[in-house]
Amino acid sequence: MTTIQQPRILGPGVNRVDGPLKVTGQARYPNDFSLPGMAFAAVVRSTIPSGRITRLDTTAAGKSAGVLEVITHENADHLDEAPATFIKNPQAPLQNDVIRYYGQYIAVVVADTQQNATAAADLIEVEYERREALLDPHDPRAERIKDPWGEDTAWGDVRTALKRAPVMIDQTYTTSDNTNNPLGLFTTLAAWDGDTLTLHDSNQWPNMVQLVVSSMFGVPKDAVRVLTPFVGGGFGAGLRCWSHIPLAVMAARHVGRPVKLELTRPEMFTGLGHRTSSVNWLKLGATRDGRLTAIEHESLTTLPMDGDEYEPCSSVSTWSYASPNVTTRDQQVRLNIPWTNFMRAPGDSQGNFALESAIDELAWEVGLDPLEIRLLNYAEVDPKTGRPWSSNALRQCLEVGARRFGWSQRNPEIGSMRDGHELIGYGVAGVSFFWYQQPCAARVIVRGDGSAYVRSAVTDIGTGTYTIMAQLAAQLLGLDVEQVEMQLGDTEMPAGTAAGGSGLTAALGSAVHDACGRLIQKFVELAKTDPFSPLADVPYEQVEVSEGRLYRRGEPTRGESLARILAVHGLDEMAADGDSTPNSPDELGMTPAGARGARFVEVRIDEDLGRIRLARIVTVNDGGRILNEKLARSQILGGTVGGIGMALFEDTVTDMDTGRIANATFGDYLIPVNADVPDVHIEFVGEPDAFNPIGVKGIGEIGLVGVAPAIANAIFHATGKRIRSLPITLDEVMG
Amino acid sequence: MREFRYERPSTVAEAISAVAGDPDADFLAGGTTEVDLMKDGVFHPDLLVDITRLPLRGVRKNGTMLQVGALTTMEELAADRTLIERAPFVREALLLGASTQLRNMATIGGNLLQRTRCRYFRDPAVPACNKREPGSGCEAVASVARMHAILGASRDCIALHASDLAVALVALDAVVHLQSEDGERTVPLTQFYLMPGDTPNRENVLRHGELITAIDLPLPPEGIRSTYLKVRDRASYEFALTSAAVALTMDGSVITEARIAMGGVGTIPWRGFEAEEVLRNAPATPDAFRSAAEGMIHDPYVVPGTAFKVELAKRTLVRALTEVTS
Repeated sequence: MTTIQQPRILGPGVNRVDGPLKVTGQARYPNDFSLPGMAFAAVVRSTIPSGRITRLDTTAAGKSAGVLEVITHENADHLDEAPATFIKNPQAPLQNDVIRYYGQYIAVVVADTQQNATAAADLIEVEYERREALLDPHDPRAERIKDPWGEDTAWGDVRTALKRAPVMIDQTYTTSDNTNNPLGLFTTLAAWDGDTLTLHDSNQWPNMVQLVVSSMFGVPKDAVRVLTPFVGGGFGAGLRCWSHIPLAVMAARHVGRPVKLELTRPEMFTGLGHRTSSVNWLKLGATRDGRLTAIEHESLTTLPMDGDEYEPCSSVSTWSYASPNVTTRDQQVRLNIPWTNFMRAPGDSQGNFALESAIDELAWEVGLDPLEIRLLNYAEVDPKTGRPWSSNALRQCLEVGARRFGWSQRNPEIGSMRDGHELIGYGVAGVSFFWYQQPCAARVIVRGDGSAYVRSAVTDIGTGTYTIMAQLAAQLLGLDVEQVEMQLGDTEMPAGTAAGGSGLTAALGSAVHDACGRLIQKFVELAKTDPFSPLADVPYEQVEVSEGRLYRRGEPTRGESLARILAVHGLDEMAADGDSTPNSPDELGMTPAGARGARFVEVRIDEDLGRIRLARIVTVNDGGRILNEKLARSQILGGTVGGIGMALFEDTVTDMDTGRIANATFGDYLIPVNADVPDVHIEFVGEPDAFNPIGVKGIGEIGLVGVAPAIANAIFHATGKRIRSLPITLDEVMG
Repeated sequence: MREFRYERPSTVAEAISAVAGDPDADFLAGGTTEVDLMKDGVFHPDLLVDITRLPLRGVRKNGTMLQVGALTTMEELAADRTLIERAPFVREALLLGASTQLRNMATIGGNLLQRTRCRYFRDPAVPACNKREPGSGCEAVASVARMHAILGASRDCIALHASDLAVALVALDAVVHLQSEDGERTVPLTQFYLMPGDTPNRENVLRHGELITAIDLPLPPEGIRSTYLKVRDRASYEFALTSAAVALTMDGSVITEARIAMGGVGTIPWRGFEAEEVLRNAPATPDAFRSAAEGMIHDPYVVPGTAFKVELAKRTLVRALTEVTS
């Protein structure tokens, strides 16, 4: 009875339930909080990439106006190691004199005002013994980690297939380092009360922060409460417990006052990770009519000296197209760089650029329309296992997108379409996104007045989790959205997973689904104990719910409201806990498919000046069941803008002699402005997915993927220049 | 940011004497560059003398001259009727030069003193910067440089003068009025900026305690054809890779007078006297434009990241000339 058959509330958009709070400034972000007696912290960062600190003079800083404390490795508390977790977190800061990257925290100053803390931080004198740093991914001295996640894949016989292939593409594609740059400056406000700690903190995973901080400081997990009801964006930057968090906690303990630590924009470039650059070596073998016979995809990405990272760039080549012979291999290289970290579509965004560029090259090589070659090689089943997909509407994405875009108007000849000084190019890319889901819990409670509230420790990073979960609970409990209150972002609530990997909607949604089912069951069982209840002899399987009432299927008048059931039994409210764990592909006999998509782009290239202008984009996506189309569109639009950034602008530049990030400001690190974003047409296709009970596929990241290759392919169509390296800038396109 | 003193005198003379009396004092107008540099730890004044309420604001037409008070904001000048009619390319440079928010704060006098955007200058953690620490070297030359100069540059400094307005005003032969405790003087804007040479820390002829009070804009003859073309990596909110200010007087298809300056290429706003000479009394043809461009960009000093600017700058000028003559 908790299957979603005729969604009443799901589908077309309802407005964000937290919208009024946000636009009136009542939604409080971590840096909006202040506490009585609060002090402020400023960090000091290393200015060498490798070596050790030989002298740290904090005398002047310590005497500076308003300074309460200066903490360095010489007087820092001993902290325990970060616990081993699914993804690694930085080790405790200030535990020794070793420097592993430029920008590593080496001191924290606490003062009565932010200004005094920042001014004093400038007065700290540091001397280093510098060691030679490894900064170049191709440095032969750097440690290479092969098959880092045990996900290297091979089927068929790629070597023979490539040797025999009548047509072969063999190219190298690279992408640059990018930085997540959520707009909200990450902030930690730490307040100790005896041995208990409260953190207002910017992150995407409150339970992870709770676990890491409690372990490092040797207190029970329950003694740490992390509050993140709102956060000013994440894009992956909040998926780990970064070092500034324990620094703020340590500082608060040292001064015996609450301490607020707000990172600056330049600090956000070194302290929260960044998307790794990538090298992708791709070989495609094909028949003369464009059918793939072999794919060999190898990738190289970067790692910090003491971190881990999951960026399987080559994996896209195992699930995107049908090929009888496939080999994929990933490698990582350890460097003296700030942490690499998940950034919207890790691995996929880089790997898809390589694969979709190569497919395009193959189309030109065999004289096939770039759209046709993608349809021709569509994977009807999972090419790796032969299992059916849980759902896959890539074909519709391509077909619907082509119609909306007017792909048939395209003259296939290079440089054949123009408007004045501008060469016009059309480009397409397909997207097959990864699938990801983690365990999650939620609690659903119905109150005496028939309204409900839903609780989970997970946070809404702005994607709309508050809204879609309220919709889902309303749908499942037969209530209006206004009758459901959402409470998120507090570790005192049922433990949840990360708002990341496009996996939260399926994880939390399935948990809410489970909790609602259990709650209805409890109501039915309760009603059975009341001989006067119209539901007394109705089995659970026959109960339906709508407008806050339970009733017997087919007999709407034979029922009772949730509120009345509670009242009859003298209860204020009734709760049920739900949880979700991902289904097993083996048990279901299907391969879970992530979202699918297609991008169509028109570029205008100034033939003399090389200026690259996007005229329009059509993006069609299969996200399974769309819970709220309005919010889903926002996710795709934001992702598209991120994709434009990756394609044309974003490039975190490292000085190769010092390891310093040279452009760590919004003036120097370019992201698209409104004028760079053309008309974006967004459409959804596909059916509810069979892999989870609510039928969703995450769409938080897919919007970004495929934009870059579609642009690169369009630039090729306009100019004949095949650019295999991101970002693409006008000097590479100038005729 | 370090602590500093702040004063707001009520007369020009008091302001000048306040700054002149303290070697670590400086004037504060819109603050759109200055305060950034203080926050970045590049600039550490002991005293800031706020001049924003001094009576140095407003635009006045005086015969063939537009007299612009130094504290006139970029937005106010951009909205001036005479400027729009007689020198529209200056307005274009203003509008393309900054966002509305910045134009409402930034002053014309301050804009002429806009500091370079060089990432190595703007980060005090970088030890080598001849502009910041004379004699320390130049990190940018050996690093990743894109937003840097190719004209007037050397291994001592490749920092770019990033103002758009200054490019247009150099083309216009603007004259800067200066006042100090020693009295008043005027300097043509074409002689106001100093080539970096081996003293990139000295950017202009201003002496300590000397204040820009006004800028005279000689109005071009009516009927000029002009444009300010700005080429950049993104569509707005970004400094120029290359830009061209062009103002031509034509007689039929012949150019009788040309004013040309370029931005995005020089350590100072780059006036194109040679290009102007090529175009004077020349027919408006692609060949003439290309010759002018060759005359504009010669003896460039490039690093790998800026090499593309040589050709891009020439094409930018050719495009600007093509647009205004077609």
